[in-house]
Amino acid sequence: MIEKEKLKEYAHKLMFDMKDEEYETLQKEFDVILKQMEAIDKIPNLHEVSPMTFPFLLDDRSLREDEVGDYLTVGEVLSNAKHQVNDQVKVPKVVEE
Amino acid sequence: MIDELRKQLDEGSVTSEELFEEAVKSAKEVQDTYNPFVTILDKYKIRRRANSILTGIPYTLKDNISTSNILTTASSNILKDYVPVYDATVYQKLKKAGAVLVGKTTLDELAMGGTGTTAATGVVRNPWNSNCLIGGSSAGSAVSVALGIVPFSIGSDTGDSIRKPASFGGVVGFKPTYGRISRYGLFAFASSLDHVGVFTRSVRDAAIVTDIIKGYDAKDMTSLKDEDKSYTDELEKPLTHKKLCYIKEICDINQYNDPKVIETLRKFHDFIDKCRNQGFTVDEVSFDKVLLDAIYPTYMIISCAEATSNNANLTGIQFGPRGDGNSIDEVMFSARTKGFSELIKRRFVLGSYILQKENQEKLFLNACRCRRLIVDRVNELFKDYDGIILPASGGGAPSFDSSSEQVTDQQLILENHMAIGNFGGFPSITIPFTFVKDMPVGINITGRVMEDDILLHIANEVEKITGLRGLKVGDRHV
Repeated sequence: MIEKEKLKEYAHKLMFDMKDEEYETLQKEFDVILKQMEAIDKIPNLHEVSPMTFPFLLDDRSLREDEVGDYLTVGEVLSNAKHQVNDQVKVPKVVEE
Repeated sequence: MIDELRKQLDEGSVTSEELFEEAVKSAKEVQDTYNPFVTILDKYKIRRRANSILTGIPYTLKDNISTSNILTTASSNILKDYVPVYDATVYQKLKKAGAVLVGKTTLDELAMGGTGTTAATGVVRNPWNSNCLIGGSSAGSAVSVALGIVPFSIGSDTGDSIRKPASFGGVVGFKPTYGRISRYGLFAFASSLDHVGVFTRSVRDAAIVTDIIKGYDAKDMTSLKDEDKSYTDELEKPLTHKKLCYIKEICDINQYNDPKVIETLRKFHDFIDKCRNQGFTVDEVSFDKVLLDAIYPTYMIISCAEATSNNANLTGIQFGPRGDGNSIDEVMFSARTKGFSELIKRRFVLGSYILQKENQEKLFLNACRCRRLIVDRVNELFKDYDGIILPASGGGAPSFDSSSEQVTDQQLILENHMAIGNFGGFPSITIPFTFVKDMPVGINITGRVMEDDILLHIANEVEKITGLRGLKVGDRHV
């Protein structure tokens, strides 16, 4: 079984935490999921196949012209931020005094 | 349905405002029982100069589609107060067409789930039987169409998030070829699998709505070029593509014990015979069982990995509830800890595990390789067949009590095969075809990429055989 500490480490890398009992549920779930994932290992010569990252090859893609399109005003950009100062999003101090 | 409403509006026997008021009234009436809405709009709004088949017609949008000045939460606490400042392309197109938005529909949190039970605002219930789930993630969209509150709804589909709830709700659910409908403004779950699609009560309505919302969009780098074709018009022509197949390893009754599955498959085979009698060729084909077994883990690996990365922008800093703390890291940590539910966190941790350097080759890249093998095999079938026809599920919607029951490996394939449509970006549609234990069950047809018109055409003919066109909750059925 995967260690709880490892799961905690993965969660923290993603910037969140879980309750102790939630890690326990996750531990059990990992057991099941990792077993299900073994189905992939049963495919012969898989390493010879090139990984597919998109459904199909997209037709000739070219970069669009660099033209000014629609854009948001500062007010719109900030409209959902809880803390603002001088037209900017306010966050806790980064540089120590 | 859309044609009837269009006629009534054009004749003046009803006004668009009246349709809106009626839809809002019904939405409010059912909200406490089924919970399909995150937001029900109270103000009638229409583009005055619009002139399309959808002008004046009410509809709903899944709440992970960006609507400026209208709350859009993705049914997650981390976005519970988020009011977008821009429109998704699909919403903009519908606005331009004069369609009238009635509400934003409930989904499994961040579209990551298939049950309709994980929204921050609570469980969504099946209107055919409120003790059953509706499926997800586009749960509220399916309910709003099944109850006839609106003739169509827009959803999103990453594994089967339109087509499964369509099956459980007795409605049509269609996702076209990957890139056919712009994803701009859809909150990304797994970008390489995400599609926008529609819920309706007939295949014709699905064609009508898709004709309005499809098309190239410079704001979506995966958007397909325009095609000079109306899917609705194509339905009027004689159908020349009538060669279908079903997969033996999924549809062989002898391998199942569950009576519900057995009844569903029996009805499926009876239905296939009816299709044959109506001029379709339907062959049984074989699909490597090892690849079928790998569908679900392949989907889990790719979707969780992509989701982990896509949702990194949910920090509570630029938008969403602010967390507590003395540093940016602490603020984000706190916002994400409070904002995501346990299920979402579990999926993210899985994604994080998959993307660890030591697991990338064995898990992520192998899943991507497996995805190619599955898609290659499907494309091989499409050399001989115009479509693959399969039951969308091994029965009607499960009850809330039974949803945690263990399913066998075989049932895991039966319940998850529709992810194939996302792996290869194939157009895929679910239409109601029968009832099992008084609950609707859908049939799923998947076609070749870029041939959305042919798939809809096939589905339109198959729909005639079902006799369930226009099905609505409360209708009598056999």
